[in-house]
Amino acid sequence: MVAAQTKLPMQVSHVKSTHMTENTDHTQLCEWLKEVAENRCKISFTHLFKFFAPKIQRIARSKFPNEAQAHEVVQDTMSNVWRKAHLFDANKGAATTWVYTVMRNVTFDLLRKIKNNREDNLSDDIWPIAENAVTEDHSYEDHLENKQLLRVIEALPVTQQEVVKGFYLMEMSQEQLATHLNLPLGTIKSRLRLALVKMKVQLGEEHD
Amino acid sequence: MIKHHPKFELIQSYVNGELPASLSIGITLHAELCSVCQQKIAQLTEQVAERSFDELSNPLLNELSKLDFESDITDDDFFDSMIDDITDSNDIDTFAEVMPKQVIFKDKSYTLPSALNNISMGKAANIGKLSRARLQLDENEIHSNLLHINPGGGVPEHTHKGFELTVLLDGSFSDDRGEYHKGDFIMLDGSFTHNPISEKGCLCYTVANDALHFTQGINKLLNPIGSFIY
Ligand SMILES: [Zn+2]
Repeated sequence: MVAAQTKLPMQVSHVKSTHMTENTDHTQLCEWLKEVAENRCKISFTHLFKFFAPKIQRIARSKFPNEAQAHEVVQDTMSNVWRKAHLFDANKGAATTWVYTVMRNVTFDLLRKIKNNREDNLSDDIWPIAENAVTEDHSYEDHLENKQLLRVIEALPVTQQEVVKGFYLMEMSQEQLATHLNLPLGTIKSRLRLALVKMKVQLGEEHD
Repeated sequence: MIKHHPKFELIQSYVNGELPASLSIGITLHAELCSVCQQKIAQLTEQVAERSFDELSNPLLNELSKLDFESDITDDDFFDSMIDDITDSNDIDTFAEVMPKQVIFKDKSYTLPSALNNISMGKAANIGKLSRARLQLDENEIHSNLLHINPGGGVPEHTHKGFELTVLLDGSFSDDRGEYHKGDFIMLDGSFTHNPISEKGCLCYTVANDALHFTQGINKLLNPIGSFIY
């Protein structure tokens, strides 16, 4: 095997690109997810469904004794993909990783329901769907405020997130953002305004 | 400085979703404070996901899909109606951000990590410098608690038949093997005997699957505490 000898050392610094194989079209999957998130595109969702559902079904069949439960896993996982697609962030990892997380969480909650007769759906607390991949946090208290704010931002539609993150976290000006995202200044302003209204509602509820 | 981490096999089962809720929560609590384990979890999740969904790198999946071919035809109709059903609603999930939970043990107040937000908690019971609140996870013989030790308190020397997991949420304690700090993930199995003491007080998340058994002289009289902590 000549190939083995000339193989490049594996990258370990960046989680995202380390173990990708070439067989799955990750870019395509990301685009479909983005279409679902931004345009509620049913055609893209159908593509995602055709790619993932049969695989989820087979994996679920190995964990649950009957077909009906396997179907429940497919149904719940794919409807979470439909309803939570805006929480997927292509910069933080592959689409397959994200869908796996959604499927694993659905499976965990269903198994717990069957085994322990509890419907407390703890999985999203154990493995948050929209958490930052790696945080530098070393205490709960110090960064609590920040973390809360981030979660509220993560819950925004992707188009608004870009603007809010650029403006508040990267401290870009509205003009810089317009150039950076290749959008009219008016669009940046209105997205920012919409996002702020939503965030105020969310943050306000928390501090009541 | 965190020195004690979950071992690899445990992290692997965690990523696969195969651990009981109590132990999964223990690893989440540790990982929130440990960037080393966070990184490991992220990498493992990515690998498992890739293996799960990639036909070519998963020969079993490939074989199964050939065998399934006939039943897949009927599945098609079923799947089509599922797609319609799902996309019928345009609702999206937003985060209902909840305020972090506060607990008070002997007039000291703690903010609990968000992993514990939705778990109902029993009233704190006290014996001497120990307080514990039961977490209602309902996992049969596996019991989970928040255990608080007041400054100068400790758990008398004991052993147990099953496992005992302690994740230190705040403060520190020590036993004959050394000192433990906030974030440490300490998993002991039945063959171990120890006598943790907390000079300055601490709050722990604990999971055990059997009562503790006290091993020394007068402390045997304390064996009811064993069931108290378990
Ligand atoms: Zn660790």
